[in-house]
Amino acid sequence: MGVAKEFTKGLWKEVPPFRLVLGLCPTLAVTTAAENGLGMGLATTFVLVCSNFIVSLLRSIIPSKVRIAAYIVVIASFVVIVELTMQAYFYPLYKVLGIFIPLIVVNCIILGRAEAFASKNGPVLSIADGLGMGLGFTLSLTFLGALRELLGSGTIFKHAVLGPSFEPFAIMLKPPGAFICLGLILATMNLISTRKS
Amino acid sequence: MSEYWLLIVSAVFVNNIVLARYLGNCPFLGVSTRMDTATGMGMAVIFVTTLATAITWFVRKSLLEPMGLEYLQTIAFILVIATLVQLVEMFLQKSIPALYRALGIFLPLITTNCAVLGTAVLAVENEDFNFMEGLVFAFASGVGFSLALVLLTGIRERCAVAPIPKHLQGMPVGLATAGLLALAFLGFIGMVH
Amino acid sequence: MRDLVKMVVVLTVICSASGLVLSYVNEATKEPREYQLLKYVKGPSIKAVLPEGYENDPITDKIVFKMGTDEKGHPVEKTIFPAKKGGKIVALAYDSAAPGYHGNIAVMIGVDLEGKLTGVSIMTHTETPGLGARVEEPQFTQQFAGLTLSEELNLSTRGGRIDGISGATLSSNGVVNAVRQALEQFPKIKEEVL
Repeated sequence: MGVAKEFTKGLWKEVPPFRLVLGLCPTLAVTTAAENGLGMGLATTFVLVCSNFIVSLLRSIIPSKVRIAAYIVVIASFVVIVELTMQAYFYPLYKVLGIFIPLIVVNCIILGRAEAFASKNGPVLSIADGLGMGLGFTLSLTFLGALRELLGSGTIFKHAVLGPSFEPFAIMLKPPGAFICLGLILATMNLISTRKS
Repeated sequence: MSEYWLLIVSAVFVNNIVLARYLGNCPFLGVSTRMDTATGMGMAVIFVTTLATAITWFVRKSLLEPMGLEYLQTIAFILVIATLVQLVEMFLQKSIPALYRALGIFLPLITTNCAVLGTAVLAVENEDFNFMEGLVFAFASGVGFSLALVLLTGIRERCAVAPIPKHLQGMPVGLATAGLLALAFLGFIGMVH
Repeated sequence: MRDLVKMVVVLTVICSASGLVLSYVNEATKEPREYQLLKYVKGPSIKAVLPEGYENDPITDKIVFKMGTDEKGHPVEKTIFPAKKGGKIVALAYDSAAPGYHGNIAVMIGVDLEGKLTGVSIMTHTETPGLGARVEEPQFTQQFAGLTLSEELNLSTRGGRIDGISGATLSSNGVVNAVRQALEQFPKIKEEVL
């Protein structure tokens, strides 16, 4: 029950970039295509799960005064691992995500989960929390990426969907499109939540 | 001299760090509801960004590169920034209490502001920049951040009293406003290459 | 006092553990990273300049050796990408650079074993967009195929067979110079590779 609850809360109730408005930079920056959103989401999930796990293992021996510094070292180490691995095996994606890979380290979601959850709970629950939040983040980014790709280039995961007669909104791939799309998604989620209750 | 001006115009308007480069969006949307907090945050970011870029420049050029440890850049930079923010906070508290009261609560938030780390990485990894250009770029990026933040805050303060549909209130309309602001900034494209 | 010691010890242990793991990951991914970098940065150029029909992967089979020294006296590493057919080298690709109108123009050349060019491709440059940058276009680079290091390998205004881009003589000449420099090294490289 407990594990399942920690896992599923990240998928709707507290889904990161939409509900807790955190980790916005990668959310807006890399979602010009569904594939990029998925790649960024998975990279972040990996860092989130690993850092949650390590932080929860070390939670009793890290003195509280230096805990933030310790968390940052742990998180940054996993970010460097992701950086090196992507460079070695997923070079085109590495090039597209560019500066936003090292910037995973300042994604507030990760430090936020370490501080708010992993530092107070055991390793199993912390992994479940990280996985749920990470997957919620990944799905959100993929969804936003798919939406912008559909409107901006008429494709989803590079498959033509809307046909040749569709005139793409180039603005959707630029910053204004990112802000406005995310704003509309948040409004829709507000609407759904109030209807439900 | 003119190239510094071009660099500043480019970093403030054409490639605005928030509205064109997508950096620092969390504080951009998080603290843009009241003008006094927005200006405080803006000042703190300008200050820390410039200082952080100067220090990370030396870390990269005289520590990591000679030792072949470039792959540790991310971890080294974030530690430098976290330490720097802490030191600045302690220094201000002791020596300039007035400034500390103005900036104080924003400083801890800056560690996880990707505009700071992002600017440092962009400045240090740009091979065309020398130290001075990197520094000017960092300062101008901070100014660009503050400009965008102040503009957005001005609009959102008015939105707060406007009759906006319930589901759009708060963040959704804030994001839409930011989108329109970004649209306006697209007009600067082509001004400076 | 005990708290302070504990703080320092814990942070030191975490940092050294992280350093250890990262240096291991760095070592482990070094080769694939270098390979990917060559594949995506130089790969398209290499493929464009080598004659068709080779059977190997020129990047995996790359040959690295030291040749000459730079201004500071450090030895320069030269990387050659060989194209093989039936296990035998039939052509070589390698890069070279020369100043154009604004900054260096880096080119990749393909050359067969007689020293005849099989292709030229521009890798990086900072020439004026729409003017000098047009040296990238195939109409310009295709003119090099089949030429050897002779009088023919010059701009037509200087008695050669290459028509420069009009209005961008310095950029066009930069490419010619880069190609000539590369071919001047060819006898030595051939000796080293075979």
